Amino acid sequence: MNLPNYFIADQPPEATVNAPILAEACRTLRRNRERYLSNRSTHSLVAVLSGLAGNWLDPNYSFRRLALELGPAASGFSQATLARGLDSFFNQLTAENLRALLEQDLGNDQRLDGMTSAKLEASLNRAAMVCAPELLVHVAAGNLPNPVLSSIALGLLVRSAQFVKCASGTSLLPRLFAHSIYETEPKLGACLEVAEWRGGRDDLEQALFEEADCVTATGSDETLTAIHRRLPTRTRFLGYGHRVSFGYVTAGSLSGMDIRKIVACAGADVVAWNQQGCLSPHVIYVEHGGRISPEQFAEMLAEELARREELEPRGELAIEAAATIASRRSFYDVRAAHSPDTRHWCSANSTAWTVVYEADPRFQLSCLNRFVYVKGAANLTEALQGADSVYGKVSTVGLAAPEDKTQRLAEDLARWGVTRVCPLGQMQNPPLTWRHDGHPALGDLVTWTDWEQ
Amino acid sequence: MEQAQIDPESSFSQLARELFVLQFEHNTPYRRSCEVRRVRPEQVTSWAEIPAMPTEAFKELELSCLPGEHRTAVFHSSGTTGQRPSRHFHNSESLSIYEASLLPWFEAHLLADGLRLRPGRGSAGKLQMICLTPTAGSAPHSSLAHMFETVCREFGSVECVFAGKVAEDGGWTLDEEAVIEAFGKAIAAKRPVTILGTAFSFVHLLESLAKKNLRFELVCGSRAMETGGYKGRSRSLSKADLHQLISRRLGIPPDCIVCEYGMSELSSQAYDLTIGEKTLPASPFGSRSFVFPPWARVKIVSPETGREVGEGETGLIRVFDLANVYSVMAVQTEDLGVRQGAGFKLLGRAAQAGPRGCSLLAG
Repeated sequence: MNLPNYFIADQPPEATVNAPILAEACRTLRRNRERYLSNRSTHSLVAVLSGLAGNWLDPNYSFRRLALELGPAASGFSQATLARGLDSFFNQLTAENLRALLEQDLGNDQRLDGMTSAKLEASLNRAAMVCAPELLVHVAAGNLPNPVLSSIALGLLVRSAQFVKCASGTSLLPRLFAHSIYETEPKLGACLEVAEWRGGRDDLEQALFEEADCVTATGSDETLTAIHRRLPTRTRFLGYGHRVSFGYVTAGSLSGMDIRKIVACAGADVVAWNQQGCLSPHVIYVEHGGRISPEQFAEMLAEELARREELEPRGELAIEAAATIASRRSFYDVRAAHSPDTRHWCSANSTAWTVVYEADPRFQLSCLNRFVYVKGAANLTEALQGADSVYGKVSTVGLAAPEDKTQRLAEDLARWGVTRVCPLGQMQNPPLTWRHDGHPALGDLVTWTDWEQ
Repeated sequence: MEQAQIDPESSFSQLARELFVLQFEHNTPYRRSCEVRRVRPEQVTSWAEIPAMPTEAFKELELSCLPGEHRTAVFHSSGTTGQRPSRHFHNSESLSIYEASLLPWFEAHLLADGLRLRPGRGSAGKLQMICLTPTAGSAPHSSLAHMFETVCREFGSVECVFAGKVAEDGGWTLDEEAVIEAFGKAIAAKRPVTILGTAFSFVHLLESLAKKNLRFELVCGSRAMETGGYKGRSRSLSKADLHQLISRRLGIPPDCIVCEYGMSELSSQAYDLTIGEKTLPASPFGSRSFVFPPWARVKIVSPETGREVGEGETGLIRVFDLANVYSVMAVQTEDLGVRQGAGFKLLGRAAQAGPRGCSLLAG
């Protein structure tokens, strides 16, 4: 890959990164933001972002081609999985959706440009505008590229200079995205820095945190607490902890002719990003009493995953991850031999996919990489009781239910603490306007100034 | 002369198949698992075809040929609090097989330099053992405590010390003062010691010595055996760092520090070093290789295909232990190893292999 040396992550691995280099990089970012970004209009930035997204959707776009060419080796995802994931993200990044996001989170799409009033504010003789942090630092967990790409896009939209710190070995896609920004508008690219290093470099992180106005981070609760503790009090912190997700299929949805479609949707959610994200299902709950039983659903899901493996292979796994799957499989081999309440289906001669059916509705964490549980439940109440162990940690529920039932189910899930309900099959495709873990992603970045006229 | 003509491969295979017939007949849950896999004793032509039971299954099922009323002891796996442990049931006969398997292989690795035969050391040529675990009496479900007690009984002198204590929550603590006192006495008496413990207990001891700023030069001939560190918990120190610290703090050179690989589900142990061997076992991989006794064998199997991996490749460790007479001879572990001839290099445990364990839920 012959990319110009714009970012720290472009340097050869032997190049040293140290605290003074980072501090200097942050000061440069601030200067460049002041000169090139702070005075840009929302309109022009929306045009840049949506134009970029259009480029990334073009099969011949050089950066997309590089991502698909180098991505499998760098990330472990197959080309097909990467292509689908990139399409899902860039299809969302349209001018229309960006304006909708501004309207939703800020009440008006001109909020970043000056004092404006939404209808209600005008009637109260009020106006307001928002300002974003000058320097935004992202500490990316790195299991999936899309959240990082999304953070970069939103940071650019609010005119923040950004430093993206990637986990070791995960900078390829953020880097390519950054280069594509640079190529489109070098001045915007100059307000962006991408670097990667192995965790535990407290000296480097400290240098970064001291410069930042706002830090966003994804990771385990312990990682987030540790980062938060090290930030100066003036620095805003947005932490996104690990979450889990599940699917819920009602008996009513299994009475029509669409059973195969529903199974395909469940399969799509398991295959997307090989279950690596917080939005991927660990368990698919299937209500008893439909035209097929939860066990039959599991069997059909296994067939679907086998079919998908042909089209969109999971890709190779690290030996530790494969060993985890193999160990779990041999455990369920034994359990299935002794209980009619457990069955499982596995890909032959590989760990490519696994479906475990258990009658027991207790939520079970999957070891991921296309390993999914199907569990029976009498109703949503029983499923939620089963999911008690992950109460407060559930991000998304993918729902398959007849139309007249969905509102009630969504409300019950909301009251229980689920932060996103979507149709089964769309779990890994959150819209741009998605409120990440229940909070407005764009709204959380900015600070308001109210003007009482 | 006749014995020399026995082919070890065919005799192992013969014994393994005979044992499989017995276990298939007397171990009901094992038989059920074999039947589901459509494997019956009459179809098995080689030991490697005998179905292995995963260590996780010892938590779920009572994998024993002993009827309930004959079980006089049970060894539990160490593991995360709140999780069901593995259970390996024993009676006096199976324990005597366990001991018969343990002692010669321990002796062959820890005492191969003839230390205990030298006159004038310890009481009547016996060795002083310092065990960093509780006694078998206070930890009746620990196979490790039983192992150390057996070793002390056979090879140890009256000065043997068990410095581990069982805390109220069931966890083990270390009475480091008792160890320090024993070290002092042994040095004064110019007596070498043999220290036996888990990697964690050594780390604990070394940290405590560091805090007190204590360093010992144990008498030449002293040695250490460390084990574990992979089961249920992650190592806080690499093996090389641990061994370096043992050398620095206790004066035991690296070629007198032996690692043991064993588990409650097995009755035989593997060691990675023979003390007193002039040269380390030749290994093209530059590290020490664990070897089981001739009555136990390993296969390193690919997690993807379940088939044996090639030389130098990594896979899951499967052990066929003929000393596991009354339970299940073939045990599938969750540990990863690199195949090295008849032995293996230990890499550690597959992350969060058990379906119940999860960092998210622990928090």
